[in-house]
Amino acid sequence: MATVTLEHVSYIYGKGTPFEIKALDDVSLTVKSGRVTGIIGHTGSGKSTMVQLLNGLEKPEGGRVLLDGADIWENPKNMQAIRFRVGLVMQYPEYQLFEETIEADIAFGPRNMGLDEEEISKRVREAAAFVGLEPELLQKSPFDLSGGQKRRAAIAGVMAMRPEVLVLDEPAAGLDPRGRDIILRGIREYGERTGSTVIIVSHSMEDMAAYCDDIVVMYQAKVFLAGTRDEVFSHAGELASVGLDVPQITHLALLLKKRGVPLPDAIYTVEAARDCLRTLLQ
Amino acid sequence: MTMNDIYIHAKNLVYAYREEDGLKMPVLHGISLDIKRGEYVAVLGHNGSGKSTFAKLLNMILEPESGELVVAGRDLCSPELTEDDLFALRREVGMVFQNPDNQLVATIVEEDVAFGPENLGVPPAEIRKRVDEALETVGMTAYARHEPHRLSGGQKQRIAIAGVLAMRPSCVILDEATAMLDPVGRREVIETVERLNREAGMTVITITHYMNEAARADRVVVIDDGRILMDGTPREVFSQPEKLMAAGLDVPQCTALVHALSEEGISLKGTPITTEECADLICRALEEKKNGNRNA
Repeated sequence: MATVTLEHVSYIYGKGTPFEIKALDDVSLTVKSGRVTGIIGHTGSGKSTMVQLLNGLEKPEGGRVLLDGADIWENPKNMQAIRFRVGLVMQYPEYQLFEETIEADIAFGPRNMGLDEEEISKRVREAAAFVGLEPELLQKSPFDLSGGQKRRAAIAGVMAMRPEVLVLDEPAAGLDPRGRDIILRGIREYGERTGSTVIIVSHSMEDMAAYCDDIVVMYQAKVFLAGTRDEVFSHAGELASVGLDVPQITHLALLLKKRGVPLPDAIYTVEAARDCLRTLLQ
Repeated sequence: MTMNDIYIHAKNLVYAYREEDGLKMPVLHGISLDIKRGEYVAVLGHNGSGKSTFAKLLNMILEPESGELVVAGRDLCSPELTEDDLFALRREVGMVFQNPDNQLVATIVEEDVAFGPENLGVPPAEIRKRVDEALETVGMTAYARHEPHRLSGGQKQRIAIAGVLAMRPSCVILDEATAMLDPVGRREVIETVERLNREAGMTVITITHYMNEAARADRVVVIDDGRILMDGTPREVFSQPEKLMAAGLDVPQCTALVHALSEEGISLKGTPITTEECADLICRALEEKKNGNRNA
Protein backbone atom coordinates (compact mmCIF):
# COMPACT_ATOMS: atom_id res chain seq x y z
CA MET A 1 0.00 0.00 0.00
CA ALA A 2 1.42 3.33 -0.95
CA THR A 3 0.14 6.83 -1.48
CA VAL A 4 1.58 9.05 -4.18
CA THR A 5 1.33 12.82 -3.79
CA LEU A 6 2.36 15.62 -6.08
CA GLU A 7 2.85 18.97 -4.37
CA HIS A 8 2.89 22.05 -6.62
CA VAL A 9 4.83 20.15 -9.25
CA SER A 10 5.93 21.90 -12.40
CA TYR A 11 8.04 20.67 -15.30
CA ILE A 12 9.37 22.48 -18.35
CA TYR A 13 10.84 20.95 -21.50
CA GLY A 14 13.63 22.81 -23.33
CA LYS A 15 13.94 25.45 -20.65
CA GLY A 16 15.68 28.58 -21.91
CA THR A 17 15.29 27.57 -25.59
CA PRO A 18 12.76 28.90 -28.12
CA PHE A 19 10.99 25.54 -27.85
CA GLU A 20 10.29 25.89 -24.14
CA ILE A 21 7.10 24.04 -23.21
CA LYS A 22 5.48 23.93 -19.82
CA ALA A 23 4.44 20.29 -19.47
CA LEU A 24 3.15 20.54 -15.89
CA ASP A 25 2.08 23.75 -14.26
CA ASP A 26 1.76 23.78 -10.46
CA VAL A 27 0.08 20.38 -10.23
CA SER A 28 -1.06 19.13 -6.82
CA LEU A 29 -2.66 15.73 -6.56
CA THR A 30 -3.02 12.73 -4.29
CA VAL A 31 -3.39 9.27 -5.73
CA LYS A 32 -5.14 7.10 -3.19
CA SER A 33 -3.55 3.95 -1.92
CA GLY A 34 -4.86 0.61 -3.13
CA ARG A 35 -7.08 2.04 -5.85
CA VAL A 36 -6.92 2.13 -9.62
CA THR A 37 -6.52 5.70 -10.82
CA GLY A 38 -6.83 6.69 -14.46
CA ILE A 39 -5.03 9.72 -15.85
CA ILE A 40 -6.60 11.00 -19.02
CA GLY A 41 -5.96 13.94 -21.30
CA HIS A 42 -4.94 15.01 -24.79
CA THR A 43 -1.49 14.49 -26.22
CA GLY A 44 0.61 17.24 -24.71
CA SER A 45 -1.60 17.66 -21.65
CA GLY A 46 1.26 16.52 -19.41
CA LYS A 47 0.14 13.03 -18.49
CA SER A 48 3.19 11.12 -19.71
CA THR A 49 5.49 13.67 -18.09
CA MET A 50 3.61 13.14 -14.87
CA VAL A 51 4.16 9.39 -14.84
CA GLN A 52 7.85 9.82 -15.54
CA LEU A 53 8.10 12.05 -12.48
CA LEU A 54 6.54 9.37 -10.29
CA ASN A 55 9.54 7.05 -10.27
CA GLY A 56 12.20 9.70 -10.63
CA LEU A 57 12.93 9.35 -14.36
CA GLU A 58 12.44 13.09 -14.53
CA LYS A 59 13.03 15.59 -11.75
CA PRO A 60 10.41 18.25 -11.15
CA GLU A 61 11.39 21.82 -11.95
CA GLY A 62 9.49 22.94 -8.88
CA GLY A 63 7.48 21.20 -6.16
CA ARG A 64 7.82 17.73 -4.67
CA VAL A 65 6.85 14.17 -5.52
CA LEU A 66 6.04 12.23 -2.35
CA LEU A 67 5.83 8.48 -1.84
CA ASP A 68 4.05 7.74 1.44
CA GLY A 69 4.84 11.27 2.53
CA ALA A 70 8.57 11.17 1.78
CA ASP A 71 10.15 13.23 -1.03
CA ILE A 72 11.53 10.74 -3.57
CA TRP A 73 14.40 13.16 -4.34
CA GLU A 74 15.38 13.56 -0.69
CA ASN A 75 18.25 11.17 -1.20
CA PRO A 76 18.91 10.69 -4.92
CA LYS A 77 21.27 7.77 -4.18
CA ASN A 78 18.19 5.92 -3.03
CA MET A 79 16.48 6.19 -6.38
CA GLN A 80 16.92 2.51 -7.18
CA ALA A 81 14.88 1.59 -4.11
CA ILE A 82 12.20 4.05 -5.22
CA ARG A 83 12.11 2.45 -8.67
CA PHE A 84 11.64 -0.98 -7.12
CA ARG A 85 8.65 0.42 -5.25
CA VAL A 86 7.20 2.35 -8.19
CA GLY A 87 7.15 0.21 -11.32
CA LEU A 88 6.71 2.01 -14.64
CA VAL A 89 5.48 0.36 -17.84
CA MET A 90 6.14 2.71 -20.73
CA GLN A 91 4.19 3.03 -23.99
CA TYR A 92 4.63 0.11 -26.39
CA PRO A 93 6.72 -1.85 -23.87
CA GLU A 94 6.83 -4.87 -26.21
CA TYR A 95 9.72 -3.14 -28.02
CA GLN A 96 11.77 -3.47 -24.83
CA LEU A 97 11.81 -7.27 -24.62
CA PHE A 98 15.39 -8.45 -25.07
CA GLU A 99 15.91 -11.86 -23.47
CA GLU A 100 15.92 -15.19 -25.30
CA THR A 101 12.78 -16.47 -23.62
CA ILE A 102 9.71 -14.84 -22.20
CA GLU A 103 10.48 -16.40 -18.82
CA ALA A 104 13.98 -14.87 -18.73
CA ASP A 105 12.55 -11.52 -19.70
CA ILE A 106 9.96 -11.48 -16.94
CA ALA A 107 12.63 -12.71 -14.46
CA PHE A 108 15.02 -9.87 -15.30
CA GLY A 109 13.54 -7.36 -12.86
CA PRO A 110 13.16 -9.66 -9.84
CA ARG A 111 16.68 -11.01 -10.42
CA ASN A 112 18.05 -7.46 -10.31
CA MET A 113 16.32 -7.05 -6.99
CA GLY A 114 18.53 -9.84 -5.66
CA LEU A 115 15.74 -12.34 -4.99
CA ASP A 116 16.56 -16.05 -4.79
CA GLU A 117 15.75 -18.36 -7.70
CA GLU A 118 12.78 -19.97 -6.00
CA GLU A 119 11.16 -16.62 -5.34
CA ILE A 120 11.97 -15.41 -8.85
CA SER A 121 10.32 -18.44 -10.39
CA LYS A 122 7.26 -17.96 -8.21
CA ARG A 123 7.01 -14.29 -9.17
CA VAL A 124 7.36 -15.07 -12.87
CA ARG A 125 4.52 -17.58 -12.79
CA GLU A 126 2.35 -15.27 -10.74
CA ALA A 127 2.95 -12.28 -13.03
CA ALA A 128 2.31 -14.35 -16.15
CA ALA A 129 -0.99 -15.49 -14.62
CA PHE A 130 -2.08 -11.89 -13.94
CA VAL A 131 -1.76 -10.97 -17.60
CA GLY A 132 -3.17 -14.28 -18.86
CA LEU A 133 0.00 -15.66 -20.48
CA GLU A 134 -0.24 -19.45 -20.71
CA PRO A 135 2.66 -21.28 -18.98
CA GLU A 136 3.66 -22.99 -22.24
CA LEU A 137 4.50 -19.58 -23.73
CA LEU A 138 7.16 -18.92 -21.10
CA GLN A 139 9.84 -20.96 -22.87
CA LYS A 140 9.22 -19.29 -26.21
CA SER A 141 11.26 -16.53 -27.77
CA PRO A 142 9.61 -13.10 -27.82
CA PHE A 143 9.86 -13.34 -31.64
CA ASP A 144 7.34 -16.19 -31.64
CA LEU A 145 4.62 -14.24 -29.84
CA SER A 146 1.91 -11.98 -31.21
CA GLY A 147 2.02 -8.26 -30.48
CA GLY A 148 -0.62 -8.56 -27.78
CA GLN A 149 1.21 -11.43 -26.09
CA LYS A 150 4.49 -9.52 -26.16
CA ARG A 151 2.76 -6.54 -24.58
CA ARG A 152 1.47 -8.78 -21.80
CA ALA A 153 4.93 -10.28 -21.24
CA ALA A 154 6.44 -6.81 -20.90
CA ILE A 155 3.81 -5.79 -18.35
CA ALA A 156 4.36 -9.04 -16.44
CA GLY A 157 8.07 -8.14 -16.24
CA VAL A 158 7.20 -5.10 -14.15
CA MET A 159 4.49 -6.88 -12.13
CA ALA A 160 7.02 -9.57 -11.18
CA MET A 161 8.90 -6.92 -9.19
CA ARG A 162 5.66 -6.53 -7.25
CA PRO A 163 5.83 -2.75 -7.09
CA GLU A 164 3.67 -1.03 -4.46
CA VAL A 165 2.75 1.46 -7.15
CA LEU A 166 2.26 0.15 -10.68
CA VAL A 167 2.20 2.87 -13.31
CA LEU A 168 1.28 2.09 -16.93
CA ASP A 169 1.42 4.51 -19.84
CA GLU A 170 -1.21 3.53 -22.47
CA PRO A 171 -1.13 -0.21 -21.70
CA ALA A 172 -3.93 -1.05 -24.15
CA ALA A 173 -3.06 1.24 -27.08
CA GLY A 174 -3.40 -0.40 -30.49
CA LEU A 175 -4.87 -3.69 -29.24
CA ASP A 176 -8.09 -5.28 -30.43
CA PRO A 177 -11.06 -5.22 -28.03
CA ARG A 178 -10.40 -8.65 -26.57
CA GLY A 179 -6.67 -8.04 -26.07
CA ARG A 180 -7.49 -4.70 -24.45
CA ASP A 181 -9.91 -6.31 -21.99
CA ILE A 182 -7.46 -9.08 -21.03
CA ILE A 183 -4.73 -6.57 -20.22
CA LEU A 184 -6.89 -4.09 -18.33
CA ARG A 185 -8.60 -6.82 -16.34
CA GLY A 186 -5.18 -8.30 -15.46
CA ILE A 187 -3.95 -4.93 -14.26
CA ARG A 188 -7.00 -4.48 -12.05
CA GLU A 189 -6.55 -7.95 -10.67
CA TYR A 190 -2.92 -7.18 -9.82
CA GLY A 191 -4.09 -4.17 -7.80
CA GLU A 192 -6.81 -6.11 -6.01
CA ARG A 193 -4.69 -9.14 -5.13
CA THR A 194 -1.54 -7.30 -4.00
CA GLY A 195 -3.18 -4.20 -2.57
CA SER A 196 -0.93 -2.09 -4.77
CA THR A 197 -1.79 1.35 -6.03
CA VAL A 198 -2.34 1.32 -9.80
CA ILE A 199 -2.09 4.31 -12.13
CA ILE A 200 -3.16 3.95 -15.77
CA VAL A 201 -2.60 6.64 -18.38
CA SER A 202 -4.94 6.47 -21.35
CA HIS A 203 -6.68 8.36 -24.15
CA SER A 204 -9.71 6.16 -23.90
CA MET A 205 -12.52 7.39 -21.69
CA GLU A 206 -14.39 4.14 -22.32
CA ASP A 207 -11.53 2.09 -20.87
CA MET A 208 -11.15 4.46 -17.93
CA ALA A 209 -14.87 4.26 -17.24
CA ALA A 210 -14.77 0.48 -17.23
CA TYR A 211 -11.60 -0.17 -15.20
CA CYS A 212 -10.71 2.77 -12.91
CA ASP A 213 -11.97 3.77 -9.43
CA ASP A 214 -10.68 7.33 -9.61
CA ILE A 215 -10.00 9.55 -12.59
CA VAL A 216 -7.70 12.54 -13.06
CA VAL A 217 -8.30 14.66 -16.14
CA MET A 218 -5.31 16.67 -17.35
CA TYR A 219 -5.77 19.69 -19.58
CA GLN A 220 -3.09 22.11 -20.71
CA ALA A 221 -0.52 21.09 -18.08
CA LYS A 222 -2.97 21.35 -15.19
CA VAL A 223 -5.42 19.08 -13.38
CA PHE A 224 -8.79 19.87 -14.93
CA LEU A 225 -10.87 17.44 -12.86
CA ALA A 226 -10.07 14.79 -10.27
CA GLY A 227 -12.26 12.52 -8.21
CA THR A 228 -14.07 9.23 -8.20
CA ARG A 229 -15.38 7.92 -11.48
CA ASP A 230 -18.90 9.09 -10.58
CA GLU A 231 -17.72 12.56 -9.65
CA VAL A 232 -15.71 13.03 -12.82
CA PHE A 233 -18.38 11.70 -15.18
CA SER A 234 -21.05 13.87 -13.57
CA HIS A 235 -19.14 16.69 -15.31
CA ALA A 236 -19.53 15.05 -18.72
CA GLY A 237 -20.59 18.33 -20.31
CA GLU A 238 -17.39 20.08 -19.19
CA LEU A 239 -15.28 17.17 -20.41
CA ALA A 240 -16.86 17.42 -23.83
CA SER A 241 -16.34 21.20 -23.82
CA VAL A 242 -12.55 20.78 -23.63
CA GLY A 243 -12.67 18.30 -26.48
CA LEU A 244 -12.27 15.11 -24.49
CA ASP A 245 -14.07 12.12 -25.87
CA VAL A 246 -16.60 11.10 -23.26
CA PRO A 247 -17.82 7.52 -23.80
CA GLN A 248 -20.57 7.30 -26.43
CA ILE A 249 -22.98 6.09 -23.74
CA THR A 250 -22.27 9.18 -21.58
CA HIS A 251 -22.86 11.37 -24.61
CA LEU A 252 -26.17 9.57 -25.17
CA ALA A 253 -27.23 10.14 -21.55
CA LEU A 254 -26.44 13.86 -21.91
CA LEU A 255 -28.55 14.06 -25.06
CA LEU A 256 -31.46 12.26 -23.41
CA LYS A 257 -31.31 14.51 -20.36
CA LYS A 258 -31.40 17.54 -22.60
CA ARG A 259 -34.61 16.12 -24.06
CA GLY A 260 -36.10 15.80 -20.61
CA VAL A 261 -35.49 12.13 -19.83
CA PRO A 262 -34.86 11.87 -16.07
CA LEU A 263 -31.44 10.22 -15.79
CA PRO A 264 -28.74 10.47 -13.12
CA ASP A 265 -25.71 12.68 -13.71
CA ALA A 266 -23.03 10.05 -14.20
CA ILE A 267 -23.72 7.32 -16.71
CA TYR A 268 -20.60 5.88 -18.23
CA THR A 269 -21.24 2.19 -18.78
CA VAL A 270 -23.71 0.36 -20.99
CA GLU A 271 -24.91 -1.58 -17.93
CA ALA A 272 -25.76 1.57 -15.97
CA ALA A 273 -27.64 3.02 -18.94
CA ARG A 274 -29.53 -0.23 -19.41
CA ASP A 275 -30.60 -0.35 -15.76
CA CYS A 276 -31.82 3.27 -15.74
CA LEU A 277 -33.72 2.92 -19.00
CA ARG A 278 -35.23 -0.41 -18.06
CA THR A 279 -36.90 1.23 -15.09
CA LEU A 280 -38.23 4.00 -17.30
CA LEU A 281 -39.40 1.78 -20.13
CA GLN A 282 -40.96 -1.13 -18.26
CA MET B 1 -22.57 -3.72 -61.43
CA THR B 2 -20.37 -3.92 -64.53
CA MET B 3 -16.79 -5.10 -64.45
CA ASN B 4 -15.69 -1.48 -64.81
CA ASP B 5 -17.18 -0.52 -61.48
CA ILE B 6 -15.28 -3.22 -59.66
CA TYR B 7 -12.04 -1.91 -58.27
CA ILE B 8 -10.96 -4.97 -56.33
CA HIS B 9 -12.03 -8.48 -57.22
CA ALA B 10 -10.88 -11.30 -54.94
CA LYS B 11 -11.97 -14.90 -55.26
CA ASN B 12 -10.84 -17.81 -53.08
CA LEU B 13 -7.77 -15.84 -52.12
CA VAL B 14 -5.32 -17.94 -50.10
CA TYR B 15 -2.16 -16.82 -48.38
CA ALA B 16 0.28 -18.61 -46.06
CA TYR B 17 3.39 -17.33 -44.31
CA ARG B 18 6.43 -19.57 -44.46
CA GLU B 19 8.04 -20.58 -41.19
CA GLU B 20 11.81 -21.07 -40.79
CA ASP B 21 11.43 -24.85 -41.04
CA GLY B 22 9.65 -24.52 -44.37
CA LEU B 23 6.20 -25.24 -42.96
CA LYS B 24 3.37 -23.07 -44.10
CA MET B 25 1.28 -21.02 -41.71
CA PRO B 26 -2.02 -20.42 -43.47
CA VAL B 27 -3.44 -16.97 -42.76
CA LEU B 28 -6.12 -16.44 -45.39
CA HIS B 29 -8.32 -19.40 -46.31
CA GLY B 30 -10.22 -18.33 -49.38
CA ILE B 31 -11.32 -14.70 -49.25
CA SER B 32 -13.89 -13.72 -51.86
CA LEU B 33 -15.16 -10.18 -52.20
CA ASP B 34 -15.61 -7.35 -54.66
CA ILE B 35 -15.02 -3.72 -53.80
CA LYS B 36 -16.45 -1.04 -56.05
CA ARG B 37 -14.59 2.01 -57.27
CA GLY B 38 -15.23 4.86 -54.84
CA GLU B 39 -16.42 2.63 -52.02
CA TYR B 40 -15.46 3.35 -48.38
CA VAL B 41 -14.88 0.02 -46.68
CA ALA B 42 -13.84 -0.72 -43.11
CA VAL B 43 -12.20 -4.07 -42.38
CA LEU B 44 -12.51 -5.38 -38.84
CA GLY B 45 -10.91 -8.39 -37.18
CA HIS B 46 -8.97 -9.26 -34.06
CA ASN B 47 -5.15 -9.26 -33.99
CA GLY B 48 -3.96 -12.15 -36.15
CA SER B 49 -7.27 -12.51 -38.02
CA GLY B 50 -5.55 -11.89 -41.35
CA LYS B 51 -6.95 -8.45 -42.09
CA SER B 52 -3.55 -6.78 -42.49
CA THR B 53 -2.33 -9.66 -44.63
CA PHE B 54 -5.33 -9.10 -46.88
CA ALA B 55 -4.47 -5.41 -47.19
CA LYS B 56 -0.85 -6.17 -48.04
CA LEU B 57 -1.96 -8.42 -50.90
CA LEU B 58 -3.81 -5.53 -52.50
CA ASN B 59 -0.67 -3.72 -53.59
CA MET B 60 1.52 -6.79 -53.77
CA ILE B 61 3.61 -6.27 -50.68
CA LEU B 62 2.70 -9.94 -50.36
CA GLU B 63 1.91 -12.32 -53.22
CA PRO B 64 -1.16 -14.52 -53.07
CA GLU B 65 -0.63 -18.25 -52.81
CA SER B 66 -3.64 -19.08 -54.94
CA GLY B 67 -6.99 -17.68 -56.01
CA GLU B 68 -7.94 -14.67 -58.10
CA LEU B 69 -7.03 -11.09 -57.34
CA VAL B 70 -7.67 -8.21 -59.70
CA VAL B 71 -6.91 -4.68 -58.47
CA ALA B 72 -7.48 -1.56 -60.57
CA GLY B 73 -7.76 -3.64 -63.70
CA ARG B 74 -4.54 -5.62 -63.14
CA ASP B 75 -4.59 -9.36 -62.63
CA LEU B 76 -2.15 -9.84 -59.76
CA CYS B 77 -2.11 -13.59 -60.13
CA SER B 78 -1.17 -13.52 -63.81
CA PRO B 79 2.25 -14.98 -64.64
CA GLU B 80 2.60 -12.16 -67.17
CA LEU B 81 2.58 -9.48 -64.50
CA THR B 82 5.72 -7.40 -65.01
CA GLU B 83 7.72 -5.26 -62.63
CA ASP B 84 6.34 -2.19 -64.41
CA ASP B 85 2.82 -3.37 -63.64
CA LEU B 86 3.83 -3.74 -60.02
CA PHE B 87 5.16 -0.16 -59.80
CA ALA B 88 2.06 1.15 -61.56
CA LEU B 89 -0.11 -0.74 -59.08
CA ARG B 90 1.71 0.67 -56.06
CA ARG B 91 1.33 4.15 -57.45
CA GLU B 92 -2.40 3.63 -57.69
CA VAL B 93 -2.92 1.87 -54.38
CA GLY B 94 -1.31 3.86 -51.59
CA MET B 95 -0.88 2.54 -48.07
CA VAL B 96 -0.58 4.29 -44.74
CA PHE B 97 0.71 2.17 -41.87
CA GLN B 98 0.25 2.18 -38.12
CA ASN B 99 3.33 3.86 -36.73
CA PRO B 100 3.63 7.55 -37.71
CA ASP B 101 7.35 7.48 -36.91
CA ASN B 102 8.16 4.67 -39.32
CA GLN B 103 7.01 6.14 -42.61
CA LEU B 104 8.43 9.63 -42.94
CA VAL B 105 11.83 9.73 -44.62
CA ALA B 106 12.81 13.39 -45.07
CA THR B 107 13.76 16.11 -42.61
CA ILE B 108 11.33 18.67 -44.03
CA VAL B 109 7.62 18.01 -44.50
CA GLU B 110 7.39 19.07 -48.17
CA GLU B 111 10.46 17.02 -49.10
CA ASP B 112 8.83 14.01 -47.54
CA VAL B 113 5.69 14.50 -49.61
CA ALA B 114 7.86 14.96 -52.73
CA PHE B 115 9.72 11.69 -52.15
CA GLY B 116 7.31 9.51 -54.12
CA PRO B 117 6.92 11.65 -57.27
CA GLU B 118 10.68 12.35 -57.28
CA ASN B 119 11.29 8.63 -57.50
CA LEU B 120 8.85 8.39 -60.38
CA GLY B 121 10.88 10.96 -62.29
CA VAL B 122 8.08 13.52 -62.30
CA PRO B 123 9.35 16.95 -63.59
CA PRO B 124 10.16 19.44 -60.78
CA ALA B 125 7.41 21.93 -61.65
CA GLU B 126 4.84 19.14 -61.57
CA ILE B 127 6.23 17.87 -58.24
CA ARG B 128 5.85 21.35 -56.76
CA LYS B 129 2.24 21.42 -57.90
CA ARG B 130 1.46 17.95 -56.55
CA VAL B 131 3.11 18.61 -53.18
CA ASP B 132 1.22 21.88 -52.72
CA GLU B 133 -2.06 20.24 -53.65
CA ALA B 134 -1.48 17.22 -51.44
CA LEU B 135 -0.60 19.36 -48.41
CA GLU B 136 -3.62 21.53 -49.07
CA THR B 137 -5.88 18.47 -49.20
CA VAL B 138 -4.73 17.17 -45.82
CA GLY B 139 -4.80 20.65 -44.31
CA MET B 140 -1.05 20.84 -43.65
CA THR B 141 0.03 23.66 -45.98
CA ALA B 142 1.17 25.79 -43.04
CA TYR B 143 3.60 23.06 -42.04
CA ALA B 144 5.33 22.61 -45.43
CA ARG B 145 8.70 23.77 -44.12
CA HIS B 146 8.43 22.15 -40.70
CA GLU B 147 10.42 19.22 -39.40
CA PRO B 148 8.23 16.10 -39.30
CA HIS B 149 9.53 14.94 -35.92
CA ARG B 150 8.10 18.02 -34.23
CA LEU B 151 4.56 17.25 -35.44
CA SER B 152 1.85 15.43 -33.51
CA GLY B 153 0.97 11.84 -34.40
CA GLY B 154 -2.17 12.90 -36.29
CA GLN B 155 -0.21 15.50 -38.25
CA LYS B 156 2.47 12.94 -39.13
CA GLN B 157 -0.17 10.55 -40.43
CA ARG B 158 -1.68 13.33 -42.54
CA ILE B 159 1.78 13.97 -44.00
CA ALA B 160 2.01 10.25 -44.79
CA ILE B 161 -1.36 10.51 -46.53
CA ALA B 162 -0.13 13.58 -48.46
CA GLY B 163 2.88 11.52 -49.56
CA VAL B 164 0.50 8.92 -50.94
CA LEU B 165 -1.68 11.57 -52.63
CA ALA B 166 1.33 13.07 -54.41
CA MET B 167 1.51 9.76 -56.31
CA ARG B 168 -2.02 10.45 -57.64
CA PRO B 169 -3.50 7.16 -56.40
CA SER B 170 -7.03 5.91 -57.00
CA CYS B 171 -7.19 4.06 -53.68
CA VAL B 172 -5.89 4.64 -50.17
CA ILE B 173 -5.53 1.79 -47.68
CA LEU B 174 -5.12 2.64 -44.02
CA ASP B 175 -3.61 -0.28 -42.11
CA GLU B 176 -4.56 0.63 -38.53
CA ALA B 177 -3.31 4.11 -39.32
CA THR B 178 -5.19 5.57 -36.34
CA ALA B 179 -4.21 2.95 -33.75
CA MET B 180 -1.38 4.99 -32.23
CA LEU B 181 -3.18 8.33 -32.27
CA ASP B 182 -5.14 10.18 -29.61
CA PRO B 183 -8.82 11.02 -30.24
CA VAL B 184 -7.98 14.37 -31.83
CA GLY B 185 -5.38 12.88 -34.16
CA ARG B 186 -7.76 10.09 -35.02
CA ARG B 187 -10.49 12.51 -35.98
CA GLU B 188 -8.07 14.52 -38.16
CA VAL B 189 -7.06 11.43 -40.10
CA ILE B 190 -10.57 10.06 -40.50
CA GLU B 191 -12.00 13.36 -41.66
CA THR B 192 -9.17 13.67 -44.18
CA VAL B 193 -9.81 10.28 -45.79
CA GLU B 194 -13.56 10.74 -45.70
CA ARG B 195 -13.15 13.95 -47.64
CA LEU B 196 -10.97 12.16 -50.20
CA ASN B 197 -13.68 9.57 -50.58
CA ARG B 198 -16.60 11.96 -50.83
CA GLU B 199 -15.04 14.76 -52.85
CA ALA B 200 -12.47 12.99 -54.99
CA GLY B 201 -14.30 9.67 -55.26
CA MET B 202 -11.26 7.82 -53.99
CA THR B 203 -11.67 4.20 -52.94
CA VAL B 204 -10.85 4.01 -49.22
CA ILE B 205 -10.16 0.84 -47.28
CA THR B 206 -9.54 1.28 -43.58
CA ILE B 207 -8.40 -1.52 -41.32
CA THR B 208 -9.23 -0.66 -37.75
CA HIS B 209 -10.02 -1.80 -34.23
CA TYR B 210 -12.26 1.16 -33.52
CA MET B 211 -15.92 0.28 -33.95
CA ASN B 212 -16.94 3.94 -34.03
CA GLU B 213 -14.63 4.42 -37.00
CA ALA B 214 -16.03 1.41 -38.83
CA ALA B 215 -19.56 2.72 -38.20
CA ARG B 216 -18.79 5.68 -40.50
CA ALA B 217 -17.90 3.57 -43.54
CA ASP B 218 -20.31 2.56 -46.36
CA ARG B 219 -19.54 -1.07 -45.74
CA VAL B 220 -17.99 -3.21 -43.01
CA VAL B 221 -16.17 -6.46 -43.72
CA VAL B 222 -15.32 -8.65 -40.72
CA ILE B 223 -12.46 -11.10 -41.14
CA ASP B 224 -12.08 -13.89 -38.60
CA ASP B 225 -9.36 -16.53 -38.75
CA GLY B 226 -8.64 -15.84 -42.39
CA ARG B 227 -12.24 -16.00 -43.58
CA ILE B 228 -14.92 -13.41 -44.19
CA LEU B 229 -17.31 -13.68 -41.28
CA MET B 230 -19.59 -10.75 -42.07
CA ASP B 231 -19.99 -8.27 -44.91
CA GLY B 232 -22.63 -5.55 -45.06
CA THR B 233 -23.57 -2.03 -44.09
CA PRO B 234 -22.49 -0.96 -40.59
CA ARG B 235 -26.10 -1.34 -39.49
CA GLU B 236 -26.36 -4.90 -40.79
CA VAL B 237 -23.06 -5.91 -39.20
CA PHE B 238 -23.59 -4.23 -35.84
CA SER B 239 -27.07 -5.70 -35.50
CA GLN B 240 -25.35 -9.01 -34.63
CA PRO B 241 -23.37 -8.19 -31.49
CA GLU B 242 -23.02 -11.83 -30.38
CA LYS B 243 -21.36 -12.80 -33.61
CA LEU B 244 -18.96 -9.86 -33.37
CA MET B 245 -18.12 -10.55 -29.76
CA ALA B 246 -17.41 -14.20 -30.55
CA ALA B 247 -14.87 -12.88 -33.05
CA GLY B 248 -13.17 -10.82 -30.31
CA LEU B 249 -14.75 -7.56 -31.45
CA ASP B 250 -17.21 -5.05 -30.04
CA VAL B 251 -20.15 -2.97 -31.18
CA PRO B 252 -20.58 0.78 -30.61
CA GLN B 253 -21.93 1.40 -27.08
CA CYS B 254 -25.30 2.66 -28.33
CA THR B 255 -25.79 -0.51 -30.33
CA ALA B 256 -24.77 -2.56 -27.27
CA LEU B 257 -27.31 -0.69 -25.14
CA VAL B 258 -30.23 -1.48 -27.43
CA HIS B 259 -29.11 -5.11 -27.50
CA ALA B 260 -28.81 -5.22 -23.70
CA LEU B 261 -32.33 -3.79 -23.35
CA SER B 262 -33.74 -6.35 -25.77
CA GLU B 263 -32.23 -9.11 -23.63
CA GLU B 264 -34.30 -7.71 -20.76
CA GLY B 265 -37.42 -7.98 -22.88
CA ILE B 266 -37.53 -4.33 -23.92
CA SER B 267 -37.25 -4.26 -27.67
CA LEU B 268 -36.61 -0.97 -29.42
CA LYS B 269 -37.05 -1.27 -33.14
CA GLY B 270 -33.81 -0.80 -35.06
CA THR B 271 -30.04 -0.89 -34.72
CA PRO B 272 -28.86 2.62 -33.91
CA ILE B 273 -25.28 3.38 -34.88
CA THR B 274 -24.98 7.03 -33.91
CA THR B 275 -25.79 8.67 -30.61
CA GLU B 276 -28.53 10.79 -32.18
CA GLU B 277 -30.29 7.79 -33.71
CA CYS B 278 -30.19 6.01 -30.38
CA ALA B 279 -31.58 9.04 -28.52
CA ASP B 280 -34.42 9.30 -31.08
CA LEU B 281 -35.24 5.64 -30.67
CA ILE B 282 -35.37 5.85 -26.87
CA CYS B 283 -37.40 9.05 -26.84
CA ARG B 284 -39.90 7.49 -29.23
CA ALA B 285 -40.22 4.41 -27.01
CA LEU B 286 -40.76 6.58 -23.92
CA GLU B 287 -43.37 8.59 -25.79
CA GLU B 288 -45.21 5.43 -26.89
CA LYS B 289 -45.16 4.12 -23.35
CA LYS B 290 -46.63 7.39 -22.04
CA ASN B 291 -49.41 7.29 -24.66
CA GLY B 292 -50.00 3.61 -23.94
CA ASN B 293 -50.43 4.37 -20.23
CA ARG B 294 -52.86 7.14 -21.00
CA ASN B 295 -54.94 4.90 -23.24
CA ALA B 296 -54.93 2.14 -20.66
